[in-house]
Amino acid sequence: MSTFASVLEPPPRRRSDRRIGKRVPPPPPPSDGDDGPDGDPGSRRPILDNERLATLVVIAGEVMLFAGLISAYLVLRLGTAVWPPPLQPRLPVAVTGINTLVLLASSAAMVAAGRALAPGKRRALVFRLRLAAGLGALFLVVQGYEWIRLVGFGLTLSSGSYGTGFYTLIGAHALHVVAALMWLGITLAMASRGRFDHGRTNVARACAMYWHFVVGLWPVLYVTVYLV
Amino acid sequence: MLNWWLPENVSTYGGEIDRLFHLIYWITGGTFVLVFVTLLVFLVVYRDRPGRQARYTHGSTPLEIAWTIVPALILVVLTFLSVPAWSRIKMQMPPTDIVIQVTAKQFNWQFTYPGPDGKFGTADDKTMLDEMHVPTGKPVRVNLRSQDVIHSFFVPQFRMKQDAVPGREIAQWFEVTKPGKYELPCAELCGFGHSGMKAWVYVHTPEEYAKWLAENVNVARAAAEEKPAGEAKKDEPKAETKTRGKAK
Amino acid sequence: MAHSATATAHMAHAGHHELGFVRTYIFSTDHKMIARQFLFLGLFMMIIGGLLALIVRWELAWPETPIPGLGMFLPETGGAIEPSAYNMAFTMHATLMVFFVIMPILAGSFGNFCIPLMIGARDMAFPFLNMLSFWVTGSAGLIMLSGFFVDGGHAAAGWTSYAPLSAVTSYTGVNWGQNIWCISLFIMGVGSMMGSINYITTIINMRAPGMSLFRMPLVVWSLFITAILLLLALPVLTSAAAMLLFDRVLGTSWFNPSGGGEPLLWQHLFWYFGHPEVYILILPAMGIASEILPVFSRKPIFGYHAMAFSMIGIAFLSWIVYGHHMFVSGMNPKLGLSFMITTMIIAVPSAIKTFNWLGTLWGGRIQFTVPMLNALAFVSMFVIGGLSGIFMASTPVDIYIQDTYFIVAHIHYVVFGGSIFGAFAAIYFWFPKMFGRMTNPALGHLHFWPTFVFFNGTFFPMHILGVGGHMRRIYNPTQYEFLQPLQHWNVFITVSALLLGVAQIPFVINFFWSLFAGKKAPANPWNSNTLEWTAPSPPPHLNWGAHVPTVYRGPYEYSSPESKDDFLPQTVPPTPARARAGRH
Ligand code: HEA
Ligand code: HEA
Ligand code: CUA
Ligand SMILES: [Cu+2]
Repeated sequence: MSTFASVLEPPPRRRSDRRIGKRVPPPPPPSDGDDGPDGDPGSRRPILDNERLATLVVIAGEVMLFAGLISAYLVLRLGTAVWPPPLQPRLPVAVTGINTLVLLASSAAMVAAGRALAPGKRRALVFRLRLAAGLGALFLVVQGYEWIRLVGFGLTLSSGSYGTGFYTLIGAHALHVVAALMWLGITLAMASRGRFDHGRTNVARACAMYWHFVVGLWPVLYVTVYLV
Repeated sequence: MLNWWLPENVSTYGGEIDRLFHLIYWITGGTFVLVFVTLLVFLVVYRDRPGRQARYTHGSTPLEIAWTIVPALILVVLTFLSVPAWSRIKMQMPPTDIVIQVTAKQFNWQFTYPGPDGKFGTADDKTMLDEMHVPTGKPVRVNLRSQDVIHSFFVPQFRMKQDAVPGREIAQWFEVTKPGKYELPCAELCGFGHSGMKAWVYVHTPEEYAKWLAENVNVARAAAEEKPAGEAKKDEPKAETKTRGKAK
Repeated sequence: MAHSATATAHMAHAGHHELGFVRTYIFSTDHKMIARQFLFLGLFMMIIGGLLALIVRWELAWPETPIPGLGMFLPETGGAIEPSAYNMAFTMHATLMVFFVIMPILAGSFGNFCIPLMIGARDMAFPFLNMLSFWVTGSAGLIMLSGFFVDGGHAAAGWTSYAPLSAVTSYTGVNWGQNIWCISLFIMGVGSMMGSINYITTIINMRAPGMSLFRMPLVVWSLFITAILLLLALPVLTSAAAMLLFDRVLGTSWFNPSGGGEPLLWQHLFWYFGHPEVYILILPAMGIASEILPVFSRKPIFGYHAMAFSMIGIAFLSWIVYGHHMFVSGMNPKLGLSFMITTMIIAVPSAIKTFNWLGTLWGGRIQFTVPMLNALAFVSMFVIGGLSGIFMASTPVDIYIQDTYFIVAHIHYVVFGGSIFGAFAAIYFWFPKMFGRMTNPALGHLHFWPTFVFFNGTFFPMHILGVGGHMRRIYNPTQYEFLQPLQHWNVFITVSALLLGVAQIPFVINFFWSLFAGKKAPANPWNSNTLEWTAPSPPPHLNWGAHVPTVYRGPYEYSSPESKDDFLPQTVPPTPARARAGRH
């Protein structure tokens, strides 16, 4: 864990503070064209800090996960003549539409929170994070309620490709919202302890990235599963 | 050359596959010799000996371009040479009056002939287990189906293979040139009976085939008793499975 | 990071002494220890997977005869293998070999070991996540092994687990085995995801000063690309495995036509993962060969950039060729044509690599050390395996050889001749750095030569079987009349497979003997240029003392006119002499 702490440090932003008090190795010499372009001093000028880069990487993987699920869903859906199949309950398009707005709102709150990631704005930060989390939770609750109703109407995982596709895709997303909420919870705790007051905001920003991903994923699923 | 490798080919399009096989055999064989001779020569000539100095070079763009282009060309040509055979075998269906309904199930092949009325699903269909009869000199169309898992219709001497997928019907064709008795193994893993799931293809001369047809298929009464394979119950394969499990 | 790294150093040295046995050897966050753990996991699984293969071989040569020594495990059959057990054997053989031997050893172990050491980082970006990735993968392995003990036996639908055979219990009689297969692969997917997150972040962000992308050793390039493929391919398998599991236990109908599912959907998902996967298996081995050939020909790699870009090319193309596994599956034949084109094209980058490897040997000063021999075996055997791939790439030919032993031959020439020889080369090459001791060359030769001979004895005749029409995954070839005349080949193959197994024993002995009694390794036993050899053997926690090395040149400056001895480490500052020599 000792090394783990080190990565919480922000990367030096401007050249000047990279110099401060550290051994700056001599700049690499020109090379004989064969070992590539020079001057990229690697780690000393990261494109993006580790946390956010890693989060981007995770998101890339998640995109493939849902690409798999969505394409599978479409294969079944296009393979079926009448969709939704007869004698199957219709999906609550309207309610879920509103719910979508709720989720998007939480993303907006998260953007606002990002603005408050600066010294002295702790209270605003905490409040906005709470707002984002609250809206996310609300989304989940409504979803859960709708599911219970659908199950009541007899739409289950095992009722043909319709139920299969619906519950697997939406369920997978719900799980991701839960995961994102947990992460948000941790960030919230860190925020209220003032962990972000001193410019070390990578973790919070990474969390925000993931939150935006989970939110941004939803409209795609909403369109594929509810509307198309 | 190499025909001791491949089993005898008795179908009209098998020859094209064999020709391609041999072509690729010579291309890859040539490449193989080229690479291995070079490798061995280098290993001997440039082995570490006292006083020898390694050549300090980072590569040669012309050379690298050369050995990028040349294989690319060879491969593209090979691709285009492969297209006609593929489209003839898998993308075209020659007109024919010989249509056989092939239904695979764990672990048998069922062959259904339309009977006198030439239609499937009627009472006079004739279904036989693990044996198929076809004439020479005429394209034969087989409609592949499966009742349970994926099986694969494979007749080595016909150079013909096609999976039979549950939930869909796949039409294939072949035309045999030589009468005889050929083995039809299942080529796709389909459970513990996969090994040994096979049928026999009896290839007759047109006359014999007509005779066989008259005696075995176009007998209205005989056919009336027979149940069309299509209506077999979903759980039948399981029952089948059990018994065969014992047998093994 | 130049200064955060030193900060790290201070922190760690503060907390260094408390690290007890558990934190040092078991729940270690040190990338080198994690690498060792992955290596042991892989070698252990290799023994199981290999012994399963030997069971398969015995059955094919002498069908339905009891296997000596197996009687105690299978009392009811007296050691004879039943068809279902046979299917289980090759299914698990492949599953273990692919997911728990090659991936842990090449991507897991050497990924963890080489990346930080060769780019001059003190550890991975997220050491804790790194530790998790091992323990998650390891538990996935344990779960996979547990499947052997549930009733109904382990998964028996092939490593490709085609639905609906794998989706409906009654078709195979396998119940929990298949579920465990899904669960284990799901968890393994998560583990390798954690790994690739670390690899990518570390390589992008934590290179030492001067280590520009095009000064990275090719093995790091290969691992970088492998990590990207892992990241993007594994989630597809993960989702597919989840769907399959749901079909089995929750009654969903993704793949089962009786509920409106689509069997080919599984194949599309599996191979969309599966083809990138096979390049995941080979790319690190390619990198390893590109590392070892220059060292032991004392010569720069031939065409560094071409080598890097061809790997990138392979990575891109690997996404659009997967359909070549489905030529006769009932997929639209037009798609078959387009997949044939892409499959042919993907051979070109491999061509570039092959010829560049030859170019590296050309005019070198070749030293036949054990790692070099294994690297040469990799190059030559990979070429054979690749060339056999061309036969299948041609769709009409594939109609005939699909699902025959020709494919099995191809598989093993690329995965054993390629990946496993690559792994052996890497083990012999980096053993001194990993464990601080040299391996025994005599035993090394005693391992290499028989392995090389019996490998070919085992897998080359499979081409002949395949062209003869011998189907794969069959339990008893003698059931087929047209295969009777070929049966003697099966016997021949089995005998050499058994000898191939025996040939691994010197390796095992060498490995453990050198581990404890091998002679101490110097810091740079092979006179190599790359950064890991500037650290002591074995490198301490955080790899280097106060300074992370600074890089001044590419990794392959051997026999350079600039230095009097025949190598020029990346860390040596340029001299005026170089200025003159450099400009030509
Ligand atoms: C390490 C793993 C690995 C690698 C690297 C490859 C590489 C290749 N594979 Fe392989 N393949 C597998 C592992 C691998 N494969 C496995 C495990 C299966 C079976 C899965 C299963 O069903 O269980 C399989 C199956 C498989 C199939 C499906 C067969 C079938 O089921 O019907 C096909 C079809 O096209 C194929 C093709 C290729 C091609 C064209 C390459 C190319 O990348 C090879 C390129 C290399 C060369 C060509 C050699 C070097 C080049 C030269 C010397 C230049 C000159 C060459 C020419 C001019 C021709 N492979
Ligand atoms: C990925 C890597 C990999 C590796 C390394 C191997 C290695 C081997 N494989 Fe594997 N094989 C596959 C991947 C691999 N295989 C795949 C993907 C398939 C397709 C499966 C399917 O169809 O679904 C397959 C299928 C397959 C088949 C076809 C089965 C069938 O279709 O019916 C056969 C048959 O001969 C076979 C044989 C072997 C043999 C003899 C080895 C030998 O090289 C093994 C030799 C190694 C050992 C024997 C190690 C044991 C160690 C020791 C003995 C050391 C001493 C012991 C102690 C110290 C305790 N394999
Ligand atoms: Cu039917 Cu294999
Ligand atoms: Cu492939």
